[in-house]
Amino acid sequence: MARTIQHRLRDDFDWPLFLVVCVIATLGVVNLYSATSAQTGARAELYIQQIYWLALGGGVAVIVAAIDYKVYERYAYGAYIGSIVALVLVFLLGKSIRGTHRWIQIGSFLFQPSEFVKLCLMLAVARYVHRDQRSGAWSLRDLIAPGALIALPLGLIMAQPDLGTALIVGLVAVSTLSLVRISWRTLGVIVGGGGIGGTLLWLYGLKQYQKERLTSFMSEQVDVQGTGWQAHQSMVAIGSGRWWGQGFMQSTQNQQHFLPDTHTDFPFPVWAQEQGFLGVVIVLLLYLFLILWALRIASLAKDRFGAAIAVGVAALFFWHVVFNVGMVTRSLPVVGVTLPFFSYGGSSVLAILIGVGLLMNVSMRRRAL
Amino acid sequence: MASIELVQKAGLGEIRERVRFMSAAVLLGVLLLVGRVFWIQIVDNARWLQIAEDNVLRRVDLPSTRGMIRDSRGRVIAANRPAYNVYVIPGYFPMDRFTRFADYLGLTRDERDRLEARMRNAEGSRRYQHMLARSDIDRESLALIETHRSEFPRGISVIATPVRQYPFGELAAHALGFLNEVNADDLREFAGRDYRAGERMGRSGVEQAWESILRGRRGWVRLEHDVRGLLITRDSIAGLGPDRHRDPVPGRDLVLTLDMELMRAIDRAFRGKPSGAAAVVEVRTGRVLALYSKPSVDPNTMTMGISALLNREIDENPYRPRIDKTIYESYYPGSTFKPFTALAGLEAGLIDARSQVTCTGRHELGRRVFRCKHVHGPVSLHRALVESCNVYFYTLAEAVTMDRIASMAFDFGLGHRSGIGINQETPGFIPTRAWYAQNYPGQFRIGHTLNTAIGQGNVRVTVLQLAMAYAALANGGTLFVPQLVSRVEGPDGTIIQTFPPTVRRQVSVTPAHLSMITNALAGVISDAHGTAHAAQIAEVDVAGKTGTAQVSRIVRDPTDPRRSWSTQRDHAWFAGFAPAASPEIAVVLLVEHGGSGGHEAAPLMTQVVREYFTRIRPGAPIPSVATWRAHQPRR
Repeated sequence: MARTIQHRLRDDFDWPLFLVVCVIATLGVVNLYSATSAQTGARAELYIQQIYWLALGGGVAVIVAAIDYKVYERYAYGAYIGSIVALVLVFLLGKSIRGTHRWIQIGSFLFQPSEFVKLCLMLAVARYVHRDQRSGAWSLRDLIAPGALIALPLGLIMAQPDLGTALIVGLVAVSTLSLVRISWRTLGVIVGGGGIGGTLLWLYGLKQYQKERLTSFMSEQVDVQGTGWQAHQSMVAIGSGRWWGQGFMQSTQNQQHFLPDTHTDFPFPVWAQEQGFLGVVIVLLLYLFLILWALRIASLAKDRFGAAIAVGVAALFFWHVVFNVGMVTRSLPVVGVTLPFFSYGGSSVLAILIGVGLLMNVSMRRRAL
Repeated sequence: MASIELVQKAGLGEIRERVRFMSAAVLLGVLLLVGRVFWIQIVDNARWLQIAEDNVLRRVDLPSTRGMIRDSRGRVIAANRPAYNVYVIPGYFPMDRFTRFADYLGLTRDERDRLEARMRNAEGSRRYQHMLARSDIDRESLALIETHRSEFPRGISVIATPVRQYPFGELAAHALGFLNEVNADDLREFAGRDYRAGERMGRSGVEQAWESILRGRRGWVRLEHDVRGLLITRDSIAGLGPDRHRDPVPGRDLVLTLDMELMRAIDRAFRGKPSGAAAVVEVRTGRVLALYSKPSVDPNTMTMGISALLNREIDENPYRPRIDKTIYESYYPGSTFKPFTALAGLEAGLIDARSQVTCTGRHELGRRVFRCKHVHGPVSLHRALVESCNVYFYTLAEAVTMDRIASMAFDFGLGHRSGIGINQETPGFIPTRAWYAQNYPGQFRIGHTLNTAIGQGNVRVTVLQLAMAYAALANGGTLFVPQLVSRVEGPDGTIIQTFPPTVRRQVSVTPAHLSMITNALAGVISDAHGTAHAAQIAEVDVAGKTGTAQVSRIVRDPTDPRRSWSTQRDHAWFAGFAPAASPEIAVVLLVEHGGSGGHEAAPLMTQVVREYFTRIRPGAPIPSVATWRAHQPRR
């Protein structure tokens, strides 16, 4: 009755998902090679490290895909608690870099728990809200428990502080949560309360420099030499790429060090200057395909939990792309969100590929046994 | 188990609907990003492309060298010399060797302490920027610094910048002008001319009027730099395309009509006279051989940036060193004006050579009495000019009228700008009936005409105007435009443009009348009764007219003896030409507050003329070329 794993691999393996991830990851490594070519020493070798991480992550993804996701449902809370413990450990024995506590050193590897929190929280939320199906819409009181579930890791990450990751963690969790049916009244209260709270925070909670940081991206009169430097130089790189780009390894903004952090937050401007609008459209369409494909997996999933996982991973990619490209095009404030597969980072690559493994898992198990 | 699975599957349809909605939102979001990138990369790319290019290709200026100015003999009167400025980079400077460094530069204790404080207080990026330690160091310091350079590796740099140098110092300073740094107003006013802060521009004289020719055009090269401003490629400049570099065009040289040897002769003649002016022009071409204004300010000090103390000293000097007394200031011509009154009378047919007036030493007009210096008795026109009899001209003036005198003066270029083209030339003034009618309606009196006839009243002329007018008297009535620049040369000496003499007007006067005047002017020196007979020289016959211009300056500070002195004596004139028989040069001299023209100005004139014809004039034996004043470092 049960088909063999070979059959399942042959019949149900999600080739489009596999291929689009391969293509994006390849372009990401190629761009990383160019982006770090202006650096010297260990940084110039980062693209090799990235390949190692991709290989390792690929292996992990295979394992993740092989185990039925029902198992993850069972251990979702355990993973959640584990990730919370890791976040707390960051403060206790974490390594402080540039005044932030984000990493735990394991051997020579800097482990960044917050990357995995995105997945663990998503799993926990998926389990909480989709384990049981109630007949009616969720009330505000019903949302208190999942709200607390989300708020705990969010607070810990914001304390590191890592605004960008907190933002993504929150958005991914809320996206996963958004599959539940919520009454219009509840929604109205949430939106209204959020609006009032945001206004109060803006008026009394934020300091002037924080406000400026949040609004400066909208202004044309940015302080190019100071806080606006990164976004400005990023715009220069993108704008000067025009239709066809200046060619591989030819990004003057990168080669002459005008762009900061091209291996983490700003790989996209390098790509845009070298490959032009054409290259940008290709990459954005690849991401679009990946996200839509993940949503398709969600709608074809055989159960609510699988659908929630797929939606969560789709949200992970979507919000990363939106915020990263948004901030480098001066459409959103610079909050430090990476671009999946284009940004260097062991924890980040591992987390993303685990996400891909989860997608594959749901996709391969979409048909009833 | 089965029940759980059922629960799990429940509501899947609703989820699918929601996922479709999410897909639409994702599509919209990504399309918005594509649209945003399209705006930046395609619609708005020009500005970003420009910034990207400016980021990496920094423009480095290639300065042009300012053209030299030479006199008619080819001697350099304005050139460029290198000034060596020493800069320190505090971040790299070994402070334990600071005292030795200060000694090499020859800094005073005060200067040393101030520099040390500045270096120690430099913070952040300023520690790695050039800081001026001393500008324009002398050769000795330069040699010391170069010898001991290894003691301050990377900590100092010596940069040579061109500085304008005027080897003749104060001589011809007004005509030459000077340079100084452009200021913010200039940068705004001459926005199209590509000036930079720190650049120097001509401020007066030839340096200002011929700025565009002398200046040349700056070149530039765009070299690749990185974000810290470090040069990345060492491109060979010559191999770069036109979008990457432009060669500087050196300024062109000017050859003036001035003869510095003659200028020196005039300067010698003026020895002992604190203030005055002179102009010498070639009678047959209108070329200006000398334009002399005393006192003046050494343009070398002006160009290097004048000290506040010296500036005040100049401002307070009662002889007004800044004023170009040859063209910027006008004076009563006094008796030097009489030839033009006489010509007006002759041309109107009111007098001839035989007409006589009896001078009783006074001329009564109504209740007013106009005086003469002597009782000349019966005087003809000839004697009236030779002995400068005012009564003759008072009598003539009544008949000839103001407007005829004015018309003749205008014909000879008086009352209008001569057109020399440098500095702010004043037109002077010749009064007319119309002017009186407009400005003093009903107040015109014949007395005004009388004063005008002898160059007083409201008549104002400049030294240069008078020289041009006397040149016209001497050459048969051709009024030239005074010419100061004879040609423009390229840096390699090729002649780019030569300027021919420009005739302004042919004055229509009867040649016989003109020769009556010139004969009389010769008599002023040659005749035993001539007002300038005492100044006669054996070598050359000189013709001319003495003049004494009454001075009525308001005393601003009567307690200052230097100032009160200046009001008590008249200006002494001599205007003439030589040789009397076949004139070559016209000379006009003004000794401010000199007193009588015959006594004070005429001897100067004849001295200059003698030097010119025996020594200076082309063809005359020329002595060894004068040594340039070597560069004296400022201390």
